[in-house]
Parts: sequence; C-alpha cells; structure tokens
Amino acid sequence: MIRLDNVTKIYKGETRAVDGVSLDIQKGEFVFLVGESGSGKSTMLRLFTAEESATAGQVHVAGKDLTRISSGRVPYLRRNIGSVFQDFKLLPQKTVYENVAFALEVIGRPKNIVTTQVPAILDLVGLSHKQKSFPDELSGGEQQRVSIARAFVNRPLILLADEPTGNLDPNTAQEIMRLLDRINRTGTTVVMATHDQTIVDQMRRRVIALRAGQVIRDEQQGVYG
Amino acid sequence: MVRFLRRTGYFVRETWINIRRNLTLTVAAILTVAVGVMLVGLGLMARYASTNALGRWQGGVQFEIFLEPNISGGQIDALGEELRNHPDIERIQYITQEQAFELLEEMLVDEPELLAEVSLESLPPSYRVVPRFAEGELIESLAAQFRQRPGVYSVETGRQQVDAIREWFNSFRWIVLLMSIVLAAASALLIFNMIRVAMFARRREIEVMKLVGATNSFIRLPFIMEGMLHGLAGGIVGAVAAGVLRNHVEELFGRSEILAFFRSFTVTSSQFNTAILATVIMGVVVGALGSAFAAGRFLDV
Repeated sequence: MIRLDNVTKIYKGETRAVDGVSLDIQKGEFVFLVGESGSGKSTMLRLFTAEESATAGQVHVAGKDLTRISSGRVPYLRRNIGSVFQDFKLLPQKTVYENVAFALEVIGRPKNIVTTQVPAILDLVGLSHKQKSFPDELSGGEQQRVSIARAFVNRPLILLADEPTGNLDPNTAQEIMRLLDRINRTGTTVVMATHDQTIVDQMRRRVIALRAGQVIRDEQQGVYG
Repeated sequence: MVRFLRRTGYFVRETWINIRRNLTLTVAAILTVAVGVMLVGLGLMARYASTNALGRWQGGVQFEIFLEPNISGGQIDALGEELRNHPDIERIQYITQEQAFELLEEMLVDEPELLAEVSLESLPPSYRVVPRFAEGELIESLAAQFRQRPGVYSVETGRQQVDAIREWFNSFRWIVLLMSIVLAAASALLIFNMIRVAMFARRREIEVMKLVGATNSFIRLPFIMEGMLHGLAGGIVGAVAAGVLRNHVEELFGRSEILAFFRSFTVTSSQFNTAILATVIMGVVVGALGSAFAAGRFLDV
C-alpha cells in the first residue's frame, strides 16, 4: 500500500528531514511512527499525500508512483487517503454534519451518496445525536471523532493520523484509539505518528521508530522504546 | 460538464458568500470596472462616429459642388464638361437628386421623422470632384474657381475642418484608449486583490478541500466566477453609463448651434449595440483575468 525506496527529503538544501528511508506498509496494517519532534514523522506523512515531494528515492502510495505523478492527479490520490490531525482542522462555521458532508461535496459526490454516507459515518463514530452542533460546542474528543468521520467518509484505502491524541486526555485518547482500531479492522491501512507511549505500548502493533530522518527500529509488535 | 452542472448549486452558494463577505471592496471593484469599460465603449462609439462623418469626404481630398435645384440641363452639362477637362481634376461623379435622396436615406436610417421633412425636389444635385493632388490649398483654390459659376449653389471642401476634426478625434481616441487600459489594469488588480482576500478568508476551507482531494479547478471555479460576476456587473453599469452619455451628447449636438458641425458624428444602432456588447464583454474579461490570475497564484496543490 505504501512503499518507500531509499527516500530522502532535504528542506532548503540543508535539513535532512528524511534520510535514506526504505519501508513497506501492507494493506490493512496498523503502523505507529514514533520519534522525537523533528525526527521526520510529519514529513513522512506529507510525502505520502504528495504535499511534499522526495528529493531522492521513490515513493509509491496506493499503486501510484508519486515521484512521477502529475499535479492534476494529486487530488485523485488524496481521495484514497484520509488525514487526521492534532488540531482537527474542522470548519468552525459549519455543523458536524456539514463538516463531514463537505468532504464528499467538494469531490463531486452526488447528493444521494452524501445523504446516506454522512449519517452512516456519524453513527460509526457515535455522534449521530450531535450532527447539528458546531465544532466549538463539542469536546476535544468529539471534535477529533468528527475529523475522523470526515477523513473516513469516502472510505479511503489509507488513513493517516498525525498526533491524533496529542490534544486529548488519556481516556479520550483511548476512545480515539478504539475508533482507529475499528477503522483498521475494515481493511483500511492506518499510519499514525505519535508521541504517546502508553498507547503504543498497549496496542502492540507495528512500530517504526525514527531519529534524525532515519529508521532506527521497525518491529512487528513493538513498543514505544 | 454534467458533473459541473450538478454542482451549480454549490458554486452559486459559494460565490454569493464570497461577495457578501466583502461588500465594500466589491463595490469599489465594480465601479472601477464600470468606469474603465465605459471609456472603452465611448471610445469605440467615437471611433465609429468619426469614421461615419469623415467617410463623407472620403479621406478629405474631394470636394462637392452643389447645384441649384432648378438648374437647367445645359448648365449641368457645361459645368461637367469644364470639370472633366480641367488639368487639376482627376475624375468627377454626378449625383442626381434621386441619388442624393438615397444617400440621405442611408444617413437618416435611424431618424425617419427627420427624413419625412425632406422632399426630393428640395435636394440639390451635385458634382463630386476628386482633384489630381491632395494638397488642401490647391483644393481650396480649385473650389474657389467654381464658387461663382451660374447655377452653383455652394462648394463644400470641408478639408480643413475634416483634418482638424480627424486630428482631434485621433488624439481623443488615444487618450481614451490609454485611460481605459489604465483603468482596466486597475480593475483587474482590484479584482485580483479582492479574490486574494476572499481566498485568505477561506483558507481553512481551501486547506480541507485540498486535503480531501478536491481538484484545483473545483476549488478555483467559485473564485473565478466571483471575479467574472464583478466584471459583468461593472460591464453592465459601464454600458448603461456609456449609453446615457451617448444620448446626452447627441442631444447636445442637436441643440447647440456651435456644435452643429458634430451633427454628422452619429453612430448607427448596430454600431451602438456592438460598442455596448464590447463594453460588457470587456468587463467580464477583466474580471476573469484578475480572478484567474489570483486563483492560479494562490491555489497550488
């Protein structure tokens, strides 16, 4: 599903954010990217969505060679990838329902798809009763669930999560992890960058540890380290 | 295309939200477009009008000898013989009363009530004379030779006036062209900036759209439509203003004795329509250019 071959990303000619990384993530895997701030986790995720392009090496995501993809195809690549962030990136002037529906509307999905898919996904994340609320009326955990709903409503092949529990208390973080686990069980590949040692140790999934842009550890049922 | 049509509701809604959000800027942009394209419209009309008026003298090198309406056939022939044999005259053309009436009909096609006042018999027949040389002084002296002949009502050269008017119109055209270019550029820049502000106000939405895989054209289209809408509004206001001004000016020419000369400077209704259409299209183009440039510049993948 995701394959990196000797990938290097250099910012402004000096900072080596990713340094000669090769890795292979299979369909349906759940992978933690761990490492200190600045170790290259976020850059790696941005390489997957073609927000950054590799300075050297090859990036394959969802069957596409991102070193050769034309800018016109990038949006279609992104329809196969859901993204979740620490700061949720919800639109404050739209309701929960509208925030999720927005993701389908702007890729031109017909209205009948929107009206069936959005309630279904809100049900999945347990927010059916809050669909008319605005983001600032929700708790952090609820907001993150909306953002996961938005990322998953189009049933992407891959879900990328950049510190999704970073702003949440431990109990809420557990809820979010249960949700991501559930999504993973539908066959969706999940890649999550995190600092949260408790979560990583508890889930016992594949752990890829980064330091200074290099992979220093890659374990199938790993711990934070 | 079908997919785009299905999303029309989305685009209309988004465009309307953008416009409502910065109304003052919108008004400023529309007015600038309006003034700019109004000048384009007026310039075009002036061009038509001057061409129409000058066309009568065909480059200003010919003059016309108008004869008394009751001149005898022998006098006409004698005068024609003399003109034809004159060494300084290239060729002549005799315009009968009927032909004169036809010409007048053409000129007054939009003012039938005026035409109704004119009778065939009251029109003078005339000789149109093309001299061998195009110098103004020669033409003047040539014309003077025939002014006192029996049966000659008047001789009109109009050369100096024509030259003066043409010169005046040429510089007027340039000034109008220059001003409309400057104003068009200013309005394109204003629209460019307005779209930039609109995009900045909606940067979070744009970020999310990119994130979930909306295409660039989908993200840009509402902004470009907004710019075109501003251009269209400005174009319509400008066209109306140009139309009102045209009527006012023609009325002024009709009323004032000093400006009587300008009475022949009129535009036909089809020329007027062309100018108005060009004005509106110009507005839309300016709006599309400004917004497309902004959207292209600030919305990369």
